[in-house]
Amino acid sequence: MPESVPGESDVSENFQDSSPTSRQQRLLERVSIGDQAAFSELYDEVSPRVFGLVKRLLVDHSQSEEVTQEIFLEIWQSASRFDPNKGGASTWILTMAHRRAVDRVRASQSSRDRDIRIGIRDRDSEYDHVSESVEVKFEHERVERAMERLTELQRQAITLSYYGGYTNSEVSEMLSVPIGTIKTRIRDGMIRLRDELDVTS
Amino acid sequence: MTAAKDFSILSGSYALHALGPEERAEFEQHLRESALQETEQTRNEVTELSDTAVLLGLAIAPVTPSPALKVGIMAKLSSTPQLPPGSVSSNQSADATSRRPLDDAAPGPAERKARAAWFLRPVTALACAAAAVALIIGGGVIVNNVSVDSFEQAQADQLAAISAADDAQRRVSPIEGGGTATLVWSNELGTSALVVAGIASLPADRSYQLWYIDAGDGVARPAGIFSTAATGVGSRVLDGSMGAGDAVGLTVEPAGGSATPSTSPIVVIESA
Repeated sequence: MPESVPGESDVSENFQDSSPTSRQQRLLERVSIGDQAAFSELYDEVSPRVFGLVKRLLVDHSQSEEVTQEIFLEIWQSASRFDPNKGGASTWILTMAHRRAVDRVRASQSSRDRDIRIGIRDRDSEYDHVSESVEVKFEHERVERAMERLTELQRQAITLSYYGGYTNSEVSEMLSVPIGTIKTRIRDGMIRLRDELDVTS
Repeated sequence: MTAAKDFSILSGSYALHALGPEERAEFEQHLRESALQETEQTRNEVTELSDTAVLLGLAIAPVTPSPALKVGIMAKLSSTPQLPPGSVSSNQSADATSRRPLDDAAPGPAERKARAAWFLRPVTALACAAAAVALIIGGGVIVNNVSVDSFEQAQADQLAAISAADDAQRRVSPIEGGGTATLVWSNELGTSALVVAGIASLPADRSYQLWYIDAGDGVARPAGIFSTAATGVGSRVLDGSMGAGDAVGLTVEPAGGSATPSTSPIVVIESA
């Protein structure tokens, strides 16, 4: 039950959010109280992002649709847990989507074994995906440029982890590098990306 | 806590969801419980690196899913309970990742204001009361007094498969005595599901039963017992396989169901 209501007293005024990125947040807020129209709108807005991400990891079309359904039902179920202070709505949604897609990838171990063998071959092109819209192209080029600033090992380890859904130990095996080194390189690389991409909290 | 282990090197892998389940749990526990100054730094780092990981996701080309997927998802909303805000459960949502570690951090003024407003909106409080039916304790989701078990999971998976099929279709019809029924089917998969809303609840000695009614000879084949919640919503993937053009019927039967229909159907929907 909701027990973690903060003990703040000054709560009478309504939350007026005027920032441009708050639209999806307001939609999520309405979703959290059972507003299906808001959910429908939010779905239309973010489902191509979610589906693109899921499909990237899972490849298989029908599995990707299944996982996308799980993700949106989870959004419906746990919209009330979204905390706008901890990032935007799309951040929350894409983080959840990636987590779900990774879980599914790992659930099918036999295909994983196959992937580990062929994964090496594709690793350099994992994030090299041509896209049509200007916005996506911009994001893509930004990320690509930032990726170029990484060492080879950092880039490979991060790419395999995020776009391939591989665990540290799988990446370690694929690249024949000790797992401790993988962890360090991933952290160093992510910090570098954070700085290159100007992410601050 | 094991102060000896250096957890900070896991931040990047955690943000990429690259830790194995045990190490992930260990790391999350550390973030929750450790009061060390350096853990505070790790929490911040996890949040930033998680946001960075999202940018990797935004670099992927969007792909629009099939319209049928949305139909299937929308059809499930009314039977999918929503969580009340605020309660902490470690395994039921995405915010086991970057969102939680900072919960203990001292909020700034803007955050306090936003947070207070977020949690205390009166409408949300009402929704909480309604959602109390769907109580969440220790990660177990209890839906309308029926726990989410493997049967429900299989049902959900099958419904997703039908909705996701390229040839998925749906048809809505009123139910005699109140409510509406929606049939979702795929001829390709040879299967269908009935989603109802607003249907009357039955006494304990009666069950709703589903039937496939053969398009050729009109014979009704039993296709499963349908239990609905007190709220009158529910869905059921039918047992057995559907032939093209078969109709789906719903009758009221003695509890446990019958071999052949003993009453006339309260709704019949023809697939086409």
